[in-house]
Amino acid sequence: MPNKLINLNTTKMKLKNYYLLTFTFTMLSLCLSTLTVKAQAPEETPIDTLARAVNKMADDISFLKKIKFSGYIQSQFQVADSMGAKSFAGGDFPATVDKRFKVRRAEFKTMYDNGKVQVVANINVSQDGVTIKDAYGKWSEQRLKMFSLTAGIFNRPFGFENSYSSGSLESPERARMIQVLLPGERDCGAMLTFQMPNNSALHPLKIEAGVFNGTGNAANDFDYYKDFIGNIHWTSTNKSEKIKYALGVSFYDGGVRQGTSKVYSMKADSNGINTFVMNKDTATSGYGAIAKRQYYGIDGQVSFDFPFGITTLRAEYIAGTQPGTSSSSSSPSALPTGDTYIRKFNGAYFYFVQNIFQTKHQIVVKYDWYDANTDVKENNVGLTKFAYASGTLTKTTGTADLKYTTLGLGYIYKVDNNLKFTLYYDMVTNEKSTFLTSSGYWKDVKDNVLTIRAQYKF
Amino acid sequence: MKRTSILIALSLYTSLNFAQKIKGSDTVLPLSQKEAEMYMKANKMNKITVTGGGSGVGLAALVDNTTDIAMSSRKIKMDEKMKLQDAGRAYKEVTIAYDALSVIVNNDNKVSQLTREQLEGIFTGKVKNWKEIGGDDLQIVVYSRESSSGTYEFFKEHVMNKKNYASSVLSMPATGAIVQSVSQTKGAIGYIGLAYMEKSVKALKVSYDAGKTFVAPSMATAKDKTYPVIRPLYYYYLNTVEKTVKPFIDYVLSAEGQKTVEQVGYVPLK
Repeated sequence: MPNKLINLNTTKMKLKNYYLLTFTFTMLSLCLSTLTVKAQAPEETPIDTLARAVNKMADDISFLKKIKFSGYIQSQFQVADSMGAKSFAGGDFPATVDKRFKVRRAEFKTMYDNGKVQVVANINVSQDGVTIKDAYGKWSEQRLKMFSLTAGIFNRPFGFENSYSSGSLESPERARMIQVLLPGERDCGAMLTFQMPNNSALHPLKIEAGVFNGTGNAANDFDYYKDFIGNIHWTSTNKSEKIKYALGVSFYDGGVRQGTSKVYSMKADSNGINTFVMNKDTATSGYGAIAKRQYYGIDGQVSFDFPFGITTLRAEYIAGTQPGTSSSSSSPSALPTGDTYIRKFNGAYFYFVQNIFQTKHQIVVKYDWYDANTDVKENNVGLTKFAYASGTLTKTTGTADLKYTTLGLGYIYKVDNNLKFTLYYDMVTNEKSTFLTSSGYWKDVKDNVLTIRAQYKF
Repeated sequence: MKRTSILIALSLYTSLNFAQKIKGSDTVLPLSQKEAEMYMKANKMNKITVTGGGSGVGLAALVDNTTDIAMSSRKIKMDEKMKLQDAGRAYKEVTIAYDALSVIVNNDNKVSQLTREQLEGIFTGKVKNWKEIGGDDLQIVVYSRESSSGTYEFFKEHVMNKKNYASSVLSMPATGAIVQSVSQTKGAIGYIGLAYMEKSVKALKVSYDAGKTFVAPSMATAKDKTYPVIRPLYYYYLNTVEKTVKPFIDYVLSAEGQKTVEQVGYVPLK
């Protein structure tokens, strides 16, 4: 073989070996470096794994703690004095019924609360249908920690019993005046709340002021007028923590669109006897004007920690002007279509609640009245003959103008936080008039109701 | 196999039955932990878990029935009583020891004694500088416990005459945090239970008779009741768990349990 050829082959071999060596060395280095990286990565100890898992669980729990589900179901059996009794103890009895089982309320509430924002949705399911009770958001400002803004459907900030939870009330139902004036307890609107922080001397003072539709929780608004509701409340305890007391004043300034052009108010004739007199016909001007709806309220509560058990006394008084119809003084939840009847009213309730030592037993006595029309009494209700100037347009008062008083006696057995049984008897007395013979109100109507209720709460 | 299953089930049942939860006051926490430790040594079947969080947290857990014993450095409030009543839960209150509440300042502070009125002035924000009460020209930095603490409530009621804390008061989540902050801040003042006393801070003498007599907090002055800022420490429990908790509570009230009270730095009942 010629020398040049031998040299070329040798060089080729050397190059081949060189490339092979380089490749092998590169691959080896790569493998070694991977091993080195693996060797340098710290091995996670069981403690680290556990700590990581616990931290994740803590984060999850922290989030879940912001969400709360609560609610209650009130199942009851009732016996009325007579078939078809009209009742504020859970609604009228149908014409052929004097005994009934009823799911009075089944409320399911979901709340998200992160300390700054609260979002609440609460529905009520019963034989009367499904209704929204609450659907609101509440924002609490964090700088001064004094103000919060609530918007949506929520409790009207008026008085005490309206806002007091139905699940906590000792009597099965709120007082008649609350059911008539503030049906459904809630309304749709926006409210500003002022309360100083915990460490302030003024923390017991709470001021709420809001603007609402005035139609309750179930209806959309039907007039242009918005209602203002406000209250100032003070709640505190004495130094020995044996007495808790609270006092509040409330104001409702609203209105209801008149259904027709005719508005009737109470006016005395020459003998001093009142009936409805048409005081204006707004057909020529101001048709669809707003009839004033104005309430003034004062409420107080005091609880004593006596050796024989905690005693609670509560009272609330409301008076004012209520626009209604000829047949009803209830606040409307739909656009009125009839003439407007303006009534001056007053009402009150008084509670006496006694816990028997620290046992599960509790007794309650409640007295309330609602006088739908304070300008007419007893045998003047339904009167048809008056001494007014000729041409005066008058309307007769009727059953919607009667005064009702209710005395309730109850016994409650609290099994635990989730279950309580209530036995309660409502004795209703109505104002009587000999001019209301056809409607049966010439005597006390048989409308007492016995309620036996089981409340399941979670 | 069957025997083993029965044995496992039995041991689980007995451990659950002898398990107790104690929750609440951070002031009572070290005492309860020591008492629980001593009790479990002597009663090996028993398991007691002790957690803090504040007197308010413990009593709220009692209302929710998520603790067997709520430890508290203040009396139960009217709202808490009403919540228990609403839940149909009867409860009992037991005083287990006393605690001397010490007012502490930084070791470099030349003030060594104050009247109750001066303390009220400091914590309500009326007195803002140490020079107003015989000290150096130095702003007073006030430390307090959080509002869920029984110590916070007791101090407000008994030293401040139920007047409210100034908004400038700094809230600390635990007693240990107050000790640390006061020890590191020259113009600081705070309050702690006697059991938490350390050399890094100085306890002030207190007068409740407008400066006639000043008394320093100590076990001796707490026992003979010459030190005026003494408070009872409580255990609250529901009647329904009395059978479970009574043996432990009886131990705490026994001579041996009260000896532990003194060892930990609290004042025994007798």
